[in-house]
Amino acid sequence: MPDTAHNLLTSLSEALDECASFARPLVAGIAVRGRRLRSGTLWRKGVVVASEQAFPEAGEATVTFADARAFAARVAGRDPGTNVIVLRLDGTPDPPPLPAAEPHLGGIAVGFGADEAGISIRLGIVHSVGPAWHSRAGGRIDRRITLDMAVTPREEGGPVLDAAGGILGISTLGPRRRVLVIPSSTVDAVIEPLLSKGQVERGWLGAALQPVLVPEELRSEAGAARALMIMGVSKDGPAAQANLHVGDILVAIGGQSVSSPAMVAQHLGPDSVGQPIELRLIRAGNLLPTHVTVAARPAR
Amino acid sequence: MKSAGAVVSNPLRVAVAAADEAAQGRLAALVSQCGHELVEVSAGPDAVLTEGAADAVIPSLVVALGVVDEEFGGLLPADAGVTQIDAALRAVAAGLTVRGPHRRRRDFKPLPEEMPALLTPREIEILVALGNGLSNKETARRLGISPHTVKFHVESLLRKLDASSRAEAVAKGLKQQIVEF
Repeated sequence: MPDTAHNLLTSLSEALDECASFARPLVAGIAVRGRRLRSGTLWRKGVVVASEQAFPEAGEATVTFADARAFAARVAGRDPGTNVIVLRLDGTPDPPPLPAAEPHLGGIAVGFGADEAGISIRLGIVHSVGPAWHSRAGGRIDRRITLDMAVTPREEGGPVLDAAGGILGISTLGPRRRVLVIPSSTVDAVIEPLLSKGQVERGWLGAALQPVLVPEELRSEAGAARALMIMGVSKDGPAAQANLHVGDILVAIGGQSVSSPAMVAQHLGPDSVGQPIELRLIRAGNLLPTHVTVAARPAR
Repeated sequence: MKSAGAVVSNPLRVAVAAADEAAQGRLAALVSQCGHELVEVSAGPDAVLTEGAADAVIPSLVVALGVVDEEFGGLLPADAGVTQIDAALRAVAAGLTVRGPHRRRRDFKPLPEEMPALLTPREIEILVALGNGLSNKETARRLGISPHTVKFHVESLLRKLDASSRAEAVAKGLKQQIVEF
């Protein structure tokens, strides 16, 4: 083998070794009685974050680190919106201060998970980087980061580092086992409300919406070609209280047209709860202004 | 129709994996109620029944009660009956995957992408009728339009949604598109 290739591979190998030494103190093995081992990330002293969707309906767990130290942990809060669950531990050491990393397309990504023997490591690249996105459960995730990397359900929730040893976020399994990263900034944003209130409040209308083409004769009056049709109304929800009906077409919220679910989600962030918002509807061929008071999204 | 002969339900060799003796006894009783032979985990069982962790066995052969772990072959609620447990044990032994109803789904996913071809309110009404299993005739009656018009809309829906059946159209056009806010 030529010398250059040998050097390149040994350098890569040494770099991965170093990366693993950065990550090792962060990787948390989470055991819930009777369940298989899961992974989490020591985010700050006494606080471990993990994947919400993978976590059973349990309040207590045992968290073990790679140095075999084990801690009793309590679930402090869970947020299906960003897929983050927060566990509080008694007396963990301070995690090493790893800087938050910005994802770069094609950049090396190194993922970690807990393993019965300590930690496991995965090598991949940042497959795509996109703008902020909203999950179906109502959460706003600051960046859309996907990885070209295999991650098992056991490893989900572990830290993902970049080539320089900065932390990109925690790994998450998306639809069709696509591997996503919940960015550090998103974890930081939900961690405080989860620790103090156990949940992240988000706005709720109590209506099921479906994108729809506005009938041509109403387009100029509505000022939009696309809108959302109300397909269902939750009993006693804000939409029901505001007298919205199945079949109404929602054209605008707060004076801005809404042509997609993502545009609705933008109006229903944590600050929207309790606030009145103005709606424009099409009902029976007529434009109808009204308003609703946004409620807090009920727990699942 | 003449039966081609019933499948003989041979008993399986089933192991139980339990954290304590009480659970061990419960699970062993369920195995015998199903009419299966109880064997040790180390004896290469056809299937394994557990209420919790089942290490050192092939996950695809495990039927777990009240546990959510995607690696297991069978996931049933904690209060599953003997009939369901027997069916699940036989299914995983045959290499199938079993999921009970009301199981918590992994559902962290993005809001749906916008459809390339949006539907009109009328098309959505017709799609809802299709989703309720209504025929063209019944749909026409309900919406007060002619069956011919319904047929026209259904064809347009299949084309717009690139669907080859009514069920596929309902899945693509309604189930994947409706979001609760």
